[in-house]
Amino acid sequence: MTVSISGTDGVTFNDSSVQTTAAKVGMVNRIINGAMVNDQRNAGASVTANDGIYTLDRWYFNAWQNGKGTIQRSTTAPTGFINSLLFTSTSAYTVGVGETFDFQQKVEGLNITDLAWGTANAATVTLSFWVRSSLTGTFGGALQNSAQNRFYVFSYTINAANTFEYKTITIEGDQSGTWLTTNGIGILLNINLASGANYQTTAGSWGAGAKASVTGQTSVVGTNGATWFITGVQLEKGSTATSFDFRSIGTELALCQRYYYLLSAATNVNTFFHPVAGYTTTAAVGTVSFPQMLRTGPSLVTSGTASNYRVLMGGAFITCSSVPTIDQTGPSSVSLIYTVASGMTVGYGGNSAANGSTSAILGFSAEL
Amino acid sequence: MYKLLKSVTGETKSVLKDGTTSIPFNPDNTDYQTYLAWLAEGNTPLLADAT
Repeated sequence: MTVSISGTDGVTFNDSSVQTTAAKVGMVNRIINGAMVNDQRNAGASVTANDGIYTLDRWYFNAWQNGKGTIQRSTTAPTGFINSLLFTSTSAYTVGVGETFDFQQKVEGLNITDLAWGTANAATVTLSFWVRSSLTGTFGGALQNSAQNRFYVFSYTINAANTFEYKTITIEGDQSGTWLTTNGIGILLNINLASGANYQTTAGSWGAGAKASVTGQTSVVGTNGATWFITGVQLEKGSTATSFDFRSIGTELALCQRYYYLLSAATNVNTFFHPVAGYTTTAAVGTVSFPQMLRTGPSLVTSGTASNYRVLMGGAFITCSSVPTIDQTGPSSVSLIYTVASGMTVGYGGNSAANGSTSAILGFSAEL
Repeated sequence: MYKLLKSVTGETKSVLKDGTTSIPFNPDNTDYQTYLAWLAEGNTPLLADAT
């Protein structure tokens, strides 16, 4: 075997392959679900773009006005990817000076400890992604800290309509401000769709405040029917954008499940959720153990309809009179309460289940 | 709207939002942080059902 090492060319192996830079190991990409493959909540269905919703796994939508578009996991993607996140404008809305529309990923502080931001040793990072829009022009976004009192606005240009373009932005680490290295928000990646003047500034430097995008940001919500796609989002340590850090689908889903874990009647075998035991004649209690340690004790998201849920006990299904609720919560498991009008037996075992409705879910949210 | 919930042992340790989402009283939970901000605005949750 022959291996040649050159200070100019890097390492050349005997199969003629060349490695020009040191291989990165570990969690190269700090963005989770950057390839937009996981969509536990909506499974590819289109949803109305309202403020404060998680869309595809880990991707949060921030909007000052509800209903100005739709959001969906798309199968339109550049070579090497199978999905993208799609925003479609459903009106021609004029954004107010104090308004902003953004996709955000809140990167957990425990995943950026090595960046040492807020110190003199702050590491440089590089953001890269594929983007496509029916609109051309100037677009942007920002990195912010948890308190949203530090920002770095970046800018990119979409040159050709309806064509995926690859963008890279290198950002020197912030030596000021407080950047959490806890299970709170470490870095808030803000990718802007539209913003008013109050949220815009010149790109390319750190500042104090909560700016969201660049002066002259094209408004995606300003054109009815406009589309905007993004995928392959990567935030990595270093001054060079490397190829997308493809992780196995199991690994990527597990990373997502630290923040949201779904038990769904649509996918669960026989629509049973988990074992329970009769605590009183009107309440059963059971525990759900998570496949991953969650970020923190989660909230429980249900369909909102009590009759979607039932308990199998003593050979009969008993329909719930309230939606399931949390009894105890922790990062590794929760115990839930199922309430019925009557018919349970103290000490009897059973199972919680959906009532033939695929909308019945148990969603456990520990999002940032 | 928020409504207080009781555990099976009768303690109030979570709150139901909009009839769908059960939120534990956990300081690291962002839904709970939002609930605390709502309380700070002077709002009051509905009382829990009698057990």
